[in-house]
Amino acid sequence: MAGSSKRRARHLVFLPYVAFLAIFLGWPGLYVFRSAFAKGTAERSPMIEAVTGQFRGSFIFSLQLSFVSAFIGSLIGALVAIAVVRLDTVRGLRSTVVGYSAVAANMGGIPLAFAFLAAFGMQGLATRLLREINIDIIGWGFRISDFWGIVLVYLYFQIPLMTLVLVPALDGLRRTWAEAAQSLGASSLQYWRLVALPILAPALLGGLLLLVANAFAAYATAFALSSGGSRLVPVQIRFFLQGDTITGKTNLGYALAAWMVIVTGLLVTGFQLLMRRAERWRR
Amino acid sequence: MKISRIGAWLTLVIVAVFYIVPMLAMARFAFQRIPVIKLSLGNVFQKWTIQPLLDQFGSPDFQRAATLSIMLAIATALVTIVLLLPTMAFAHLGSPRTRRFIEISAVLPFVVPAIALVVGFAGAFRDTLPILIRSSFGLVPLYVITALPFTHRTLESGLATLDLRTLVNASRSLGASWWRTIAFVIAPNMRASIATASFLAFTVVLGEFTIASLLLKNTLPLYLSYAQGGNPQGAFALGIVLVVITTVFVAMSNRFGKKVHT
Repeated sequence: MAGSSKRRARHLVFLPYVAFLAIFLGWPGLYVFRSAFAKGTAERSPMIEAVTGQFRGSFIFSLQLSFVSAFIGSLIGALVAIAVVRLDTVRGLRSTVVGYSAVAANMGGIPLAFAFLAAFGMQGLATRLLREINIDIIGWGFRISDFWGIVLVYLYFQIPLMTLVLVPALDGLRRTWAEAAQSLGASSLQYWRLVALPILAPALLGGLLLLVANAFAAYATAFALSSGGSRLVPVQIRFFLQGDTITGKTNLGYALAAWMVIVTGLLVTGFQLLMRRAERWRR
Repeated sequence: MKISRIGAWLTLVIVAVFYIVPMLAMARFAFQRIPVIKLSLGNVFQKWTIQPLLDQFGSPDFQRAATLSIMLAIATALVTIVLLLPTMAFAHLGSPRTRRFIEISAVLPFVVPAIALVVGFAGAFRDTLPILIRSSFGLVPLYVITALPFTHRTLESGLATLDLRTLVNASRSLGASWWRTIAFVIAPNMRASIATASFLAFTVVLGEFTIASLLLKNTLPLYLSYAQGGNPQGAFALGIVLVVITTVFVAMSNRFGKKVHT
């Protein structure tokens, strides 16, 4: 008897943490989903309305932006990671690149938008310097608040995030594997294609999913770049639910938010599963 | 091999330029009083001034926003440590299953984007506990949640290096209560990871825009976004300050984080 009550007391220790999560994460999450499925007086469920009506375009825009910036960011981030590991003999290089990657991956929000406005805006420094060498990006139709402009800004935190995911995975590639492949007559290309890439695949794919989720949830940077008027899903949600205004269509806003949770949930779960697989080679 | 080394260097240099140019451009816009159009090789080093920044520091609106952000950052770090440290210490002493449960629950905030979290929060508490929405300190629990994946990971790696059971047994057999043990035995041994977790919490709070903006709280990032319209030079100057502070915090958490592992 005493033992079981003691054990129960032990479990009580976790109560504050569990209650905190339930109240400040669980309840808001449930509220979003409950409102999203509440039909009210509308003809269709808000969950369906959110992805079929006028907001379909918003989702497509947000997802395209996330995937494109994640693909390009993954590619460049992977190249950086490979470069760092290859130049491992250069003292201080690795800690510098990995250290700054941690900083840049955390960058975002308003200051990042400012930096890119100052560099690639109409009157930006980089815009001006490029014009000096006859590259007129504004003349080509490039705008920092447009699709490709936001992609460029997002790369600032996407590239380093991929580098951070991939450097430990590259460390997991044993030198002996490359030597074994070489002594068996494999070319460098064959080694990468048949040995290194399959081992790196889970980390690469997991990193890609993480980058997509990262861009999908981002809001502040795009908001500051376009002075508020943007097609991103979070901006649409804001339109319905900001402050105390009741637009009469609040449930539609919650439905958009619910879809965002579903999409990020799938991406983050995929990332976690793939990273656990990637860990196997590091033991 | 030689060619691939050159390729590696080339990659790093190009990416470094991409990292550096926007920051330089922001600094130049903030601190040099020459429009880009009139910029030439002759006047690159002229008319630099930190006056825009000094003007901002003197502005009462800025001071209010900065004070609020700093207080929120400290409160968030405090709540995080007080909530997480005992919980995670007990989880380490308990079964692996509890540890696993805490680990999974700490990643959950990644699943709920800030915009979804804040609209759910506003909806859930508008009628039940409106003080949480009206008061600026209602942001603290949301920031604790947002920072949780990072702070949990830091404290986890700190706890993993401690011989927790021996410490606790020693302290308990000398008659200390559980809370004394946590406050005077475990916490001092976790100095480095507690500092790291706090720096990460500061970084999250000082950069967060979405939540504060939907709840209409005038934190530093919101002030920046408003100031952009009226006084872009001053706003960009503050942007640089925020970038520098973020860099310092992340660098410090990296350094302390390394100490934890050795």
